[in-house]
Formats: sequence, C-alpha cells, structure tokens
Amino acid sequence: MTAPVAHSVKPARRSILNWFLGVGVVGWAASVLYPVLRYLRPLGEAGAGGPLKLSAEELTTLGKSHFVIARSGTRKVIVFEAGGELRALDAKCTHEGCTVQFVPGDSLVWCACHNGKFDLDGRVLAGPPPRPLAKWVAIREGNDVILTMEKA
Amino acid sequence: MEARREEVRASVGERLYRWLDARFGVARLVEFARHKEVPVGGHSMVWYYLGGTTLFFFTVQLVSGVLLLMYYQPGEATSYESIRYITTKVPFGWLIRSVHCWSAHLMILSLVVHMFSTMILKAYRKPRELTWVTGFVLFAIALGFGFSGYLLPWNELAFFATAVGTDSVKSVPVVGQWLLEVMRGGPDVTINTLYRFFALHIVILPLVMVAVVSTHLVFIQVQGMAAGMAHQRPDRPGLRFFPDFLLRDLLLWLVCLIVLATLVYLLPYGPGIPGMEWELGKKANPLTPAYPGIKPEWYFLWVYQLLKEFPPHLAGMEGPQAALLIVTVLMGIWALVPWLDRRASKGQPSPKFTDLAIAAIIFMAYLTLKAWDIGGHALPGKLPDPRSTAWACAWITLGISCAIALLRLLAYRQRWMYFSGAALLQVVLNGVFGLDYLLAGAAALVVAIAGVVVTSRKEPAVQLRAPK
Repeated sequence: MTAPVAHSVKPARRSILNWFLGVGVVGWAASVLYPVLRYLRPLGEAGAGGPLKLSAEELTTLGKSHFVIARSGTRKVIVFEAGGELRALDAKCTHEGCTVQFVPGDSLVWCACHNGKFDLDGRVLAGPPPRPLAKWVAIREGNDVILTMEKA
Repeated sequence: MEARREEVRASVGERLYRWLDARFGVARLVEFARHKEVPVGGHSMVWYYLGGTTLFFFTVQLVSGVLLLMYYQPGEATSYESIRYITTKVPFGWLIRSVHCWSAHLMILSLVVHMFSTMILKAYRKPRELTWVTGFVLFAIALGFGFSGYLLPWNELAFFATAVGTDSVKSVPVVGQWLLEVMRGGPDVTINTLYRFFALHIVILPLVMVAVVSTHLVFIQVQGMAAGMAHQRPDRPGLRFFPDFLLRDLLLWLVCLIVLATLVYLLPYGPGIPGMEWELGKKANPLTPAYPGIKPEWYFLWVYQLLKEFPPHLAGMEGPQAALLIVTVLMGIWALVPWLDRRASKGQPSPKFTDLAIAAIIFMAYLTLKAWDIGGHALPGKLPDPRSTAWACAWITLGISCAIALLRLLAYRQRWMYFSGAALLQVVLNGVFGLDYLLAGAAALVVAIAGVVVTSRKEPAVQLRAPK
C-alpha cells in the first residue's frame, strides 16, 4: 500500500527541487550578465544644445567654403550663409547619420551618402531622409557668430 | 631478439606512429581517413573545393592580420598614422596590408559562391540542415569581419561607413538605442567606437569564427559531403579524400596563393572600383561632410542601394527601418531554407528553390549595379542621373539573366522560373519603364506568389527513382 504513495510524493519533491535549481540558475545568470551589459553601455555625455560660439578658425572656414561644421556637446551643427543670411541646422542626416554639406550653387543642404536633399530650413526636398534637420538660430554679434538651438 | 632487431629497423616515423597509437589510438583516425570519400558526379565536383578555398583565405587573414598587429596602434592620433607607417615605411608593409585586404575580398567572394552553389545543388537537404546554418553564421561573421576591419584605418571612408552601418541598428525595436550606444561606445562614432571594433575584429570574431568553422568541419566529417541530387548513386565509388581529394585541394590553394600574389603585386590598393579600394585617403574628421560618391564594400552595396530606394516613410515605419526589416526577413528565409524546402529534404527535386537562388542573384545584382552607377550619364562635377543609371543597369541585368535562363532551359531542362521571372519583372518595371522600385517589387511579389499557387496545384509529389 505504501508504494503508490511514495510514487506520488517523489515527483513532487523532485519538481520543487528542479524549480529551485532553475530559479537559482536564472538568478545566477542574471547577476553575471547585468553588470556586463551595464558595463558595455557607456556613460552619457553632457552639454548638448547649449549656446555655441564659432572659433576664429571656424569663421575663416565659413568665409572660404561657404559652410562650416561645428560641434556643440554631442551634436554637430552646419552653419552656412545663403542669400546674405546666416543659417544653421543639425549636421547629422536624419536618414543614416552621415554628415551633410551645403551646396551653394543649388541652394540646398545635401547628404552624399544616400542622396538626401534638404531645403535651407532643413525640410526634406528629395531622397530617403524621414525627418527634417533640426534648426538652430545663428546670430552675428560683432565679429562673433553665436548658435543656439531653436525651441520646437 | 628478432623483435628487438625489428624495432631498431623501423624508421623514426613508424616508431613515432606506434608510440602515438599506443596512447591516443591514432590508427582509428587513419582508418577513418582511409575510408573517407568524396562523392563523384559530373559538373558538381568543382563546387566541392570552394569551402576549402574560403578556409585558405581565412588562414591568410589570420597570418596577415597578426603581422599587421605588430605595427598597428589603435588610437585617435595613432590608428591612421600607424597604417600609413606600415604602407610607406615598414619593409614590405604595403605587401602585408595588401594581402590582408585582397584576401578579405577573395574570402567573401569564395564564401558567397560556396553558399550559392550549396543552395543550387541542395546540399543543405536532410541531414545537413545544421551544416547550412553554421555556414550561414560563418557568412554573417565574415561580414562582421569586413565591417569591423573597415574602421581600423580611421580614414574618412571608414568613418562614414561605420556611421551609416551602426546607425541602422537604431531601427531594431526596443533595444535599438542601447545596441547603437554599445556598438559605438557612445551616441556617435568616435575613437571609442574604434576601440570596440578593434576588440571585435582581433579577438571576439576570430575566436567565434574558429569555433564555428570547427563545428562546420566536424559536421562535414561526420556526415560526409553531399552528393548532387541528380547523381545520388550509392553504388558508384567516390573519390578517396586522402590523398586524392586533399592533393587536388592543396593544388587549388597554391593556385589561390598565386592569384592573390599577382593581384597584390599588380593592384596593391585594389582595382579602384568603389567598394573595392583601400587607398588610405584622408584621416577621419567628424566635422567634415561625407564626400560625393562614398560607397560601402561591394558585398554591402545591395543593402546600401536598397536604403536609397526606400521612401522616407512606409507602412507607419521610417524608410530605413522598413528597408532593414525587409533585409532581416530575406536573411531569415535564407537561413531557414533547409526546413522550408520540404521536397529536397524528402530527396525529391525542388525546382522552386533552385529558382529562388537565381532570383536572389538577380535581385542583388541589379541593386549592386545601380549602386555602382554603371551606365549613368553625369554632368561634369555632378553625380550620375539615377534614371539613366537604372535604365542601363536594367538592360545589363536583363541580358545576363536571359542568357542564364536559356542555359538552364536548354542544358539542365529547368522550367520552373517564376521567382527569377518575378525578380526580372521588378528590374524591367523599375529600370526600363521607370516605375517606383517598391511598386515594381510589389508587382513582382504578386507574380511570384501566383506562380507558387498555380504550380503547387498541378505538381504531383515526385519520388526519385530508387537507386539500383
């Protein structure tokens, strides 16, 4: 009479042990993996979008090449002069992240990687970019050029 | 006494063999090698050597890569400079770098041809499904090698190729941004990205590659090489692997080495085709725009062109996200072919999958030709006009595809061509008639599905003749 009872108890005990073992293994794997995954993601960089003053070298490049690309924190800004007006846009193409350039002859901003074209306000004219380039405000103050992000 | 004399007479090699056999049972391995055979059968014989040539080029990569490491220094102020030092100052430095670059391209070429021949000859069929999957993983690792190695010279081309390639991963749902930052070592491509790619290129990928290559080879040793579908004749004696096939293999490796040496000597910086050149150019500067005509390596060109063909938005997704979803689905189908092709797994002819391989070649060839701007008319100082490029590329693809179709029909009696026909329809609609690439693709998809539905109804399950 005792044999059937033993049969019904044994699997239950074994399955509880297996469950604890499983939880233990998963917990152990998570405690090993989490620090590694956290380690791989670098710390964020600060200083995105703050006002930016172009350096003398950048101003010279702007005069010579009709445009210059400057860095503000983690963002890149393209500054160009079109129709006597100073303009600035995010320099990172919204398609695949290449750096754009200003084409004075065609009055447009162009990305050479996948032929994306933007107008002077950053709106998409042609090609695959899904979003416009963010606008920046460029102001001349004496001999300086100050850039600030345009509020959305 | 006699036995002792016998022992002395035995050569050093024989004694070493006996010593090893007593300890490790080497005789069993020799016995295995003696009975190992390669199936013999007409035209398919040549395709058996391509895995070996890929392995040869991979070995060249390991050796030349280690040699480059003797001088290469990863770093903002040293990566570009050390490569320039290797190619201009170090004796034969140009040779080692050129061997590494040429061999990388030849390895991928050999791997791609090996993969397509396996597909067309159905060598993936039961019981070799996992050999196909490990091969597919090796293909992915080889692309990873190409992509990570590209950044190491830290020149302009490297910088933008990596910027575009890594930017794509942000399209992955949920973990995209995390993956992007882990790959780049920050939100943008910086020297931190180079450090991570360096670790990937010289430690992680080689270790994984050696492990997966070993698994791939063990599978082949255990199961033997697949016989072609058309000449599955167990009664026919095969070619002895050792030494007959191995000697042929070694001879081909020697030919590969001569081809490699000739290319390295004649064209040390590549043939100068976009996607196949390794002039160092200018040092990477994150504050310069991408230059006109910038292109990735030739084996990524079809994806590059696909990214260009997609509109800004599609079906609620951004264009690049939709394009990469399509690429992922296509790759997924490719990896699962052994399970999708149920007829081949039963030993029955499966013309649909032969045609799928040809369709894949047409699909990628047209995009690659377009990415190369072949036949496009360009005004001075401007990029070629995409419309004229598409027109010329479509006619080239059409001409070559028709020749292949004729060959298949006349020489191999292959009649099922709905997939390749659909791929060609897309080429014609887009290139010749100027229809939008995706609309042309949708029309092709309809034709392909219709072909499968119509012929599946008519098709009886054909059992191959039982071998006598």
